[in-house]
Amino acid sequence: MENLFELFIAASLINNFVFTRYLGLCIFFGVTKKMETAVGMSVTFTAVMVISAALSWIVYKTIMIPLSLQFLEIVVFIGIVAGFVQAADTIMRKMSPGLYYKLGIYLALITTNCIILAVPLINAGERYTFIQSLVFGLGSGIGFSLALVIMASIREKLELANVPKSFQGLPISFIATGLIALAFLGFSGLITL
Amino acid sequence: MAAVKKEHELIVSVSPHVKSEETVSRIMWTVSLSLLPAFVMGVYFFGPRALFVTALCVVSAVLSEYLFQKGLKRKITINDGSAFLTGLLLGMNLPTSLWSFNPFMIHVPIIGSFIAVVITKQLFGGIGFNIFNPALIGRAFLLITWPRAMTIWTEPTAAFVALDAKTTATPLGILKEEGVGKLMEVFGDQLNLYTQLLVGYRAGSLGETSAIALIIGAAFLLYKRYITWHIPVSFLSTAAALAWVFGGKDLGTGKMLLFAGDPVVHLLSGGILLGAFFMATDYVTCPSVRKGQIVFGIGCGALTMLIRLKGGYPEGVMFAILLMNCFAPLIDRSMKSRVFGAVKEQKK
Amino acid sequence: MNNTKGYWRLIKNGIFAENPIFRVALSLCPAVAVTSGVKNGFLMGIAVLFVQTMVNVTVSIVRKFIHPKVRIPAYMFIIATWVTVSDLSLAAFAWDIYKQMGLYIKLIVAFAIILSRAELFASKNKVTPSFFDGLGMGIGFLLALIIISFFRELLGKGSLWGFQFTEAKPLLIMVLPTGGFFAVGILMGLFNWIDIKFFGGGGASGGGH
Repeated sequence: MENLFELFIAASLINNFVFTRYLGLCIFFGVTKKMETAVGMSVTFTAVMVISAALSWIVYKTIMIPLSLQFLEIVVFIGIVAGFVQAADTIMRKMSPGLYYKLGIYLALITTNCIILAVPLINAGERYTFIQSLVFGLGSGIGFSLALVIMASIREKLELANVPKSFQGLPISFIATGLIALAFLGFSGLITL
Repeated sequence: MAAVKKEHELIVSVSPHVKSEETVSRIMWTVSLSLLPAFVMGVYFFGPRALFVTALCVVSAVLSEYLFQKGLKRKITINDGSAFLTGLLLGMNLPTSLWSFNPFMIHVPIIGSFIAVVITKQLFGGIGFNIFNPALIGRAFLLITWPRAMTIWTEPTAAFVALDAKTTATPLGILKEEGVGKLMEVFGDQLNLYTQLLVGYRAGSLGETSAIALIIGAAFLLYKRYITWHIPVSFLSTAAALAWVFGGKDLGTGKMLLFAGDPVVHLLSGGILLGAFFMATDYVTCPSVRKGQIVFGIGCGALTMLIRLKGGYPEGVMFAILLMNCFAPLIDRSMKSRVFGAVKEQKK
Repeated sequence: MNNTKGYWRLIKNGIFAENPIFRVALSLCPAVAVTSGVKNGFLMGIAVLFVQTMVNVTVSIVRKFIHPKVRIPAYMFIIATWVTVSDLSLAAFAWDIYKQMGLYIKLIVAFAIILSRAELFASKNKVTPSFFDGLGMGIGFLLALIIISFFRELLGKGSLWGFQFTEAKPLLIMVLPTGGFFAVGILMGLFNWIDIKFFGGGGASGGGH
C-alpha cells in the first residue's frame, strides 16, 4: 500500500511528465491558453490515461508476452490507444451529446500526446503489476492535469504582461515552464524509488 | 450562466495593487531598510566578505535592469528600488564563501542577479508581472548549477576581519545528516543553542542567521503595514506544528517519533524567518486575496517541512515559496471566483 | 523543367519557413528531452528524418487505396511500423545511446509533426515531392535539435559530441529540465527577433497547435 502511494507521488510530482520527463509538451502548450480548455483536457486526459493503461496491460500480459510479440509494442499500444479513443468518441456522441460537446475535441487531440503512449511503454518496461500500472496511469494523469492547470493560470496572468515582442506567446511560456521545473526540483529526493 | 461568465472575465486585476510609482518605490526602499539590521548582523558575523558578496549582487542586479531596459528602449526604472531589493535579498541568501578568487567564484552572484532580474522579472514584463520571486529563482538557479559552491558555509567569527574562515555545516545540515544529538554537542546545551540561533551566531546564508534582527525588521514592516500578518503567521505556525508533530526522531533507532520534534530549532534555523517575512510576502508573487494568502502561507509551511524532513535538501524554504508561487495565480483565481459566487445568494 | 528548383524549395520550406520546432512549434517534446547532448540530438534528428521521409513516401504510394474514413488509423499504423524499424535498428547498432533515449525514439510515433505532414502533404501529392517534403521537414527538425543541443551541451557539460573541452561544467543547469526549457524559449525568442528585425515578419510563433 505504501509502495503504491509512493508510486503515485513519484508519478505525479517528483517525475512529473511535463517538468522532469519533458513529455506531452505539444498539448501542454496547446491547451493552456485558456483555463477552460486546460480543465477539459485534464479531465478527459486522466480518464483516458487510466483506462488505456489498463487495456494495454491486459493485452501485453495475455497476448503479447505468451506469443513473444513484445517487439510490436509500439504498433499495438498506439493501436489500443487510438482504438479506445475512437470508441470513446463514438459512445460519448451517442450516449451523452452534452459531454461530447464539451470534451470531444480533447479526445481527438489525445492520440498525438506522447504521454498517453509513454505510460503503457513504461508500464511494460518496468514490469508493473496490474494495480501498479493503474496507479502509475492515474498519477501521471493527475500530474499532467496539475501542470496544465498551473500553466493555464500563469498564462492568464501573462496575458496582461508587457512581454518583449519576440518573446510573446510560446517563448515566454517555455521560460515560465523552465522556472516551474526549477521549483519542482524541490521535490527531488523526496522518495527514493 | 452567461452573466456569471461575463463578470468572471471582468475580475482581471494585476497585483501589486499599487496606486502610483511613488508608492512602489517607497515600499521597495522601506523593505530594503527593514532588512538592514539582519544584514548588519551578517556582516558582523561573517566579515567583510559578506558585504562584498551582497554589494556585488546589488550592483549587478541594478546594472542588469538598466542594460535590459536600455537595450529594449524601455523606461528605466532602476530608481524604484525593486532591482536593488532583489539584489539585496539574493545577496543575503548566499553563503559568504562565494567571495573567493581561488577557486574563482565571484561570477556566481553576478549570474544569479542576472537570472533574477532579467529572466525572472524583466522578460515577463517587468515589475508587477513576474510569476516567481526573482531573488529566490536566482538562488535556486545557483544552487542547482553550483551545488558544491553554494553549500560551503563559513563559521561565524564575529571579528569582522577574518578573510579565511573555517567551513562548517549549518544547524539544519547537522540536523538532517547527524540528528539532534550532534546539534547539542556542537552548541553545548539547549539554552545555548536557542540563544545562539536567536542572535545568529551560526553558519548559514549571510543574511538569514540573526533571528532577532529579522524579527525587528519584520516588526517594523508590520507596524508600517507594508506587510500583513496573514502569510508569515500561517507559514510559521504550520511549519512549527509540523516540526513538533513529525520532526522528532528516536535517538537509538532513528525512527520517527511523533510529537517529539523541536519547533524552536526549526523556526530559528535556515531561512524560514527571512522567507516568511520578506520573500513569501512579496506583493507580486503571492495571492492578493487575504484568504488566499492564508492558504499560500500554509502551503509554504507544509512544503518547507516536507522538504526539510523527507526531501533531498536540508533546507526547503526556497523551494516551498517557489512552488507556492506557481500556485498563487490559481489560488487567487479560485478564491476570487468564490467571492463572485455570492451572485448565487442574490437569486434566492 | 524547374522541378529541381521546386524540390529545393520544399526542403528550404522545412528548414526555415515551416521549421517544425521554431516556427510551427509541433513536436516540442524531443526538442527538450533529447537535447542535453549533441550526439543524442543528432541521432534523434536522424531517426525523425528517416521516419518522416519513409512515412511520406509510403503514404503517398498508398494514398489512392486508403478509404478517407480510415485514413488516420492507417497513417498511424504506417508511422508505427517505420518507428519500430528505426527503434529496432538503433537498438541493434547504437545500444549505448539507445539505452538513454529508447523511450523517446519509440515516442516518435506520437509526434504531431509526422502525422500532420502525412495528412497535409503526402496524402495529396505524388511520391517524389512527398519524399522531398519529408526530407525538408526532417532536416529542419535535425538542424533545430543540433542548434539546441549545441548550446546545452557546451554550457552544461563543457563538451561537444562527448568531447570534453574543460573539466569545469560552466552551467550545469543547462542539461537539466529547466535549462532545456530555457534554451528552447530563448532560441525561439531569438528566431522571432531575427524574423521581426531582418525579415519584417510578425514574430510570435504558432503557439502549440
